[in-house]
Amino acid sequence: MYELRQVDKHFPGVHALKGVDFKVKRGEIVGLVGENGAGKSTLMKVIYGAYQPDGGNIALDGTTVRFQNPRQAMEHGIGMVFQEQSLILNLTVMENIFLGYEQQFVKFGVINWKAMSEAARMQLAKVKLDIDPGMTTSELSFAQRQLVELAKVLTLEERIDGDLVILLDEPTSVLAKEEVELLFNLVKDLKQRASFIFVSHRMDEVLRLSDRIYVMKDGAVVDVVSHDEAEVDAIQHKMVGREVDKEYYREQKQRPYDAGKVLLTFDGVSCDKRFEDVSFALHPGEVICLVGTEGSGREAILRTIFGLETPTSGSVAIRNQKVTRFSARSGVDAGIGYIPRERKVEGIVAGMNVYENMTLSQMNKYANAGVLRVSEEKTLARNWIERLGIKTPDVYKDCGGLSGGNQQKVVLAKWRSGGAEIMLLDHPTRGLDIGAKEDVYEMIREMSHAGVGIVLVADTLEEAIGLSHTILVLKDGQFQKRFDCAPGAKPSLYDLVHHMI
Amino acid sequence: MTEVVAQTAPRASFLTRDRIIKWAPLLVLVFLTLVFPFFEWLEDLQEGKQHLFLVDSRFFSIRNAARILIASTPALMVAIGVTFIILMGSIDLSMEGTVSVCAVIFAFAFISWGGTLASWAWLAIPLALVVGAVLGFINGLVHVRLKIPSFMASLAMGFVGTGFALLLTGGDRIRVEDEIFRSLLTVRWFNFPIMVYVALAMTLLAWFIQSRTTLGRNFYAVGGGEELAHASGLNVTRVRLMGFTLAGVFFAMGALLAVGRIGIAETATGNNFMFISITAVVVGGTALWGGIGGVWNTLVGVLIVNVINNGMVVIGLPSYAQDGVLGLLVIIAVVLSTDRKSVSFVK
Amino acid sequence: MSFERIKPHLPWITLLVLVLLVGIANPSFFDPAGLLSLVTDVVPLFIMALGMTFAIYIGGIDLSVQQLANLVTVIATVYLAKFGVGVALVAVAAGFIVGAISGFVTTRLYVPSFVSTLAMGFVALSAAKYFSGQRALYMDAELRNSSFGWMFGNTAGVPHELVIAIVLLVLAWFLQTRTTFGRSLKAVGSGEPAAIASGLNVDRVKILAFAISGVFAAVAGLIFSVKLSGGDANLANGFLLLAIVAVLVGGTPLTGGVGGVLNTAIGTLIVMVIRAAMVYLEIDATQQQMVFGIVLIAAIALTIDRSKLRGVVK
Repeated sequence: MYELRQVDKHFPGVHALKGVDFKVKRGEIVGLVGENGAGKSTLMKVIYGAYQPDGGNIALDGTTVRFQNPRQAMEHGIGMVFQEQSLILNLTVMENIFLGYEQQFVKFGVINWKAMSEAARMQLAKVKLDIDPGMTTSELSFAQRQLVELAKVLTLEERIDGDLVILLDEPTSVLAKEEVELLFNLVKDLKQRASFIFVSHRMDEVLRLSDRIYVMKDGAVVDVVSHDEAEVDAIQHKMVGREVDKEYYREQKQRPYDAGKVLLTFDGVSCDKRFEDVSFALHPGEVICLVGTEGSGREAILRTIFGLETPTSGSVAIRNQKVTRFSARSGVDAGIGYIPRERKVEGIVAGMNVYENMTLSQMNKYANAGVLRVSEEKTLARNWIERLGIKTPDVYKDCGGLSGGNQQKVVLAKWRSGGAEIMLLDHPTRGLDIGAKEDVYEMIREMSHAGVGIVLVADTLEEAIGLSHTILVLKDGQFQKRFDCAPGAKPSLYDLVHHMI
Repeated sequence: MTEVVAQTAPRASFLTRDRIIKWAPLLVLVFLTLVFPFFEWLEDLQEGKQHLFLVDSRFFSIRNAARILIASTPALMVAIGVTFIILMGSIDLSMEGTVSVCAVIFAFAFISWGGTLASWAWLAIPLALVVGAVLGFINGLVHVRLKIPSFMASLAMGFVGTGFALLLTGGDRIRVEDEIFRSLLTVRWFNFPIMVYVALAMTLLAWFIQSRTTLGRNFYAVGGGEELAHASGLNVTRVRLMGFTLAGVFFAMGALLAVGRIGIAETATGNNFMFISITAVVVGGTALWGGIGGVWNTLVGVLIVNVINNGMVVIGLPSYAQDGVLGLLVIIAVVLSTDRKSVSFVK
Repeated sequence: MSFERIKPHLPWITLLVLVLLVGIANPSFFDPAGLLSLVTDVVPLFIMALGMTFAIYIGGIDLSVQQLANLVTVIATVYLAKFGVGVALVAVAAGFIVGAISGFVTTRLYVPSFVSTLAMGFVALSAAKYFSGQRALYMDAELRNSSFGWMFGNTAGVPHELVIAIVLLVLAWFLQTRTTFGRSLKAVGSGEPAAIASGLNVDRVKILAFAISGVFAAVAGLIFSVKLSGGDANLANGFLLLAIVAVLVGGTPLTGGVGGVLNTAIGTLIVMVIRAAMVYLEIDATQQQMVFGIVLIAAIALTIDRSKLRGVVK
């Protein structure tokens, strides 16, 4: 009934979807799995109309359609239940359900609350939620909000002719176990009303619920398995299964780290609900890679080390000194450098030039009584431009105008020139082209040789395996397993994926 | 099939943050209406003129209540107008200009069309409301179309408005002495002048718009989550424009009552409305971030502000202290209504 | 050539064009003596705008400057007899304190600066009314001349007032471009998250920016007060709009991070030329406010960096 044929989607520098064929039959639950970056979310966005494919076509019951925006997709029966919840919390439940479609309840300019309330009750009954539609949404539990969203999408049933396709994006991530159970039963019951596309990183859930499962890798569908034939191991192999090019990650350059000294220790550290009871130690020259799916707590750990988050329990020590104050300032003072994922927001200051960016974290070293020694700053910048091969016309160039790879190098130079001994890298190669990526790998090795301890959240698993001495696998904020990654004895992708999902 | 999968959320503790914010302004108002008579009583006691607490209070009397309400009405109209804007998470600082322009145009039209409500001059009233609407609409256009933050767009528009009013009057005062129009102030029903009832009717209208019309509810949707509202297919630009237009109409209403109260229209008619109305709205518990609060909150807020102003005079505090007290009040109210977990940084 | 390329040069081009237009229409505009007195007249406004630049440069705004200047005119007049020249210190301290409180309320208590400074402005007004007893006050002529007479002298034909303005400009320019504080201001204005992630004490920088704005407003008030030989809680009214206009037409956008104090110097001159043009065109002085209100809207619309508003404009 709903079908994608040979759909292509390009972004600058990325071929995000490669000739994807995708089909949903009436009353079917289709699962969609893949590693981070495999193209799941792009595919979803194409399906619900947020992106327009630049090749192939979309067909509904055989006729080709094209959606300019999510609203048009909705009018064709395609609804989305968002992972980040899309309810407006200060409105009542019924207002949320009918937001943008209130007109049906308006007579002479006046809203008939009673009629809306009754209609909302009907929708809520579909998801078996017995609450007062006049309740303020913020008073509901997460699970209830999820159901309200589902009810909101199900209003399409009355609004359009034809069949419904409902996308569920990681619907279970905020739910407790029993709530997941209830949601699944509900979805199975609703199969007669709508078809579902179910996206989750929890493999067992996808396997249980779905009639068929699409497996994606690198922007392409690599396999479609039916519920009865599905096996976790086989699917996981298909999701990864790539040869690692040792040359590419400079594996031959990996040297053992200095296990005698400790730079950073985490002892049973927890942070709110983002990660719990995490312990590890970082040594000079060691590259530790945190591996897990989105939301597994990797980034939160980095931000805690840097001081941007304050742990709720456990203790953090830097060079055996217990950290008592958590702020970016104390992190910088302790010799920590942070290369954030959002390079343009937290990495460089767009609007400031190369030398201004490089000395931003260490201005006092280049100033007498608050007056800057600008010529020294420029000398420093010229040195590092040469050392890292930063492509910029001069030191006066606005960093916002540099290419991604060069921006990354400027951020790196900022911390390295300041003498940071602990480097935190959050997706340092995200959005870079291959040449720039290799530069970053080279620099990681170089820092490691210089005795810098590195904590890395890598863009891909291959990267993680290739670069690290140690891998820590996380899942839903819980520590899963530690792998040693000596050259030649590295764990396989499959080993990691097995513990991730 | 009929089983219920999730019951209502367990009731949180009785004193939730939401509930405190909701009721605190009213409690403050009640507290103030009791504390001023107390000070008054104390003062009299010290001077040896004992009086019965509350019963013989000068503050806590119908006459003084009428005085407070009369002073409140124009500000209430203006504050209600800006409430709609603040509900959307924006702000409108153009009220001083708009009120002045509406007052002056009303007065000119009223006088040149006959000078009494019993003639065609009554048309000056709808004219003033239309002028308010137009000014509000332009204000909204500058904000939405030029994509200028509303506080700056409206501040600039306010300056333009005041300048325009000055252009019209050349600095003169225009007297509106029609007895029928002035009956707004002079004729009293049950001890309160007509303008109090007019303001009450307008407040009910505003409440009706807020709670029973799509537009009113859309203000809350925009304030609660603009991007989400947009994603749900709401025409946010249109809602914003309508909001500013509606605010303009209420500003015009404020201008009419202000002229009715003093009998004079001039460039300075709008003076002080900006600070008083913003103070009233935030003190009433409407959050500056949008989405929470409403017309009733503003009513309470306006009363708090005016009770303080009046009470300070009654217990003999110098009048210059009022501005400072209101200034501090605004800061306290905004601080209390801000959920610090949800804002990252503020400029 | 794209608009974005011309944009940084727009302020001085505007100034040049305006000067030429006014000059062609009215050649006497170029009369040095007249020009000099025009420039001198605008000094208090310039100093206030200079301070405001710091608040806007970090992406905030300071709406308290006018009331603060009012307060200082009163303080200066009342305490001149007691402190003599020392009253200048009192004035500067008052400006610093009020500004720092605005900054504290904004950064630590999360009150948007337009509200916190508006509120602090009313606190200042209250204080001004208290000190003045709600009357217009006058300075003792002799005392004034002995303490502050030097402000209004001439050296080699250059009014001292102008010298003060230039000294302050150089000082502000040095602060902005040559010091770690100035660099921090730029970082906060251009990209606050990155400034935080670089370990800067962003809160302190912001509080100081507002404090400096207060100090400059106080200096402006002091000069104004001495110039008019008196003080009043409403003396400096009308300055706020012009100060904002001067900063924005100078090319420091409401979103901060670019522009700076030199731009404000150009912006103030633009304001001055527009005023002169209005006099020539016989536009009534009462119309200033309307004209500058419209100029303000145009200036904001042209300079504001919409990419920094992250899609939602409230």
